[in-house]
Amino acid sequence: MTQNTMRDATYQKFVKRWEEVTDIPPQTLGPLTGVYKQLTKRLKVMPWPWFVVISLGFVLVLYVLIGSAITILTTMLQRGF
Amino acid sequence: MDLLSVLIVSAVAFGRTAIGIITRPYETYRRIVTHGKPGELVFIAALLGIYFALASVVKVAAFRPFLLTQQFIVLFMGAISGALVSTVSIMAAGRLFRVRVRFTRLLIAWSYTLIPTTVWFLATSFLYVLLPPPRTTSVFGIVFSLLFLAFSATLLWWKVTLSYLVLRFTLKLNLGQSLVVAGVCAPVVATWAVIMYKTGIFKVPFL
Repeated sequence: MTQNTMRDATYQKFVKRWEEVTDIPPQTLGPLTGVYKQLTKRLKVMPWPWFVVISLGFVLVLYVLIGSAITILTTMLQRGF
Repeated sequence: MDLLSVLIVSAVAFGRTAIGIITRPYETYRRIVTHGKPGELVFIAALLGIYFALASVVKVAAFRPFLLTQQFIVLFMGAISGALVSTVSIMAAGRLFRVRVRFTRLLIAWSYTLIPTTVWFLATSFLYVLLPPPRTTSVFGIVFSLLFLAFSATLLWWKVTLSYLVLRFTLKLNLGQSLVVAGVCAPVVATWAVIMYKTGIFKVPFL
């Protein structure tokens, strides 16, 4: 009796979860779908390492492009709050 | 439920969600859209209120209650207008794809994207006091600039991710449709940002 109730509860939980997950149609991007899935997989749980890595890369590229002028950008942003 | 119970339930939901958007943004946004409660807006507003109180002190730089209160109200109203402009423009743009969404649901989802914004503004205010601009082109100035820009960019990616999840879960749009909605909303939000800049309320838009 208890086992059946537990099974029912687990089943109901599964159904609820399934409905949640299938509520939105899966994202497809043609030949890029695989790349999109790989990218978003990393952003779904604890995305911070990726955010930091991308940001550092972005800032280094910016430094290579504009050099010490990044200090002007920082000054503008610091005065922007 | 009485008011106190509603506030306690909303406080717990707010705490869970605030941690969730840091550790599990995707799953958390799915939950915000299905289970988000208007009471959570009270705590988001309180968070903004704390920041604007501090920002008013830094901006006015004097203990003059009238000026501080005025500054606080102006900043708070500016931020609320930004949230409303964003929410209404997303709702209107969603109609392009025949999507109708409840205003409150969208407002709750969008309001959580103000957490990265508040973190950035709070950190920038503290840094303004600790290391006031301008930055020089010395080694220290460049290293500080690199770190500050990396920090800002990190929070920007977080904000962009959360904003995308708002469109994905509230309007149930795919990536292409989300980009169209963002493109339609951009001029409206940019106009708001220019008004905020011209009136001296926010130089960097509080979105």
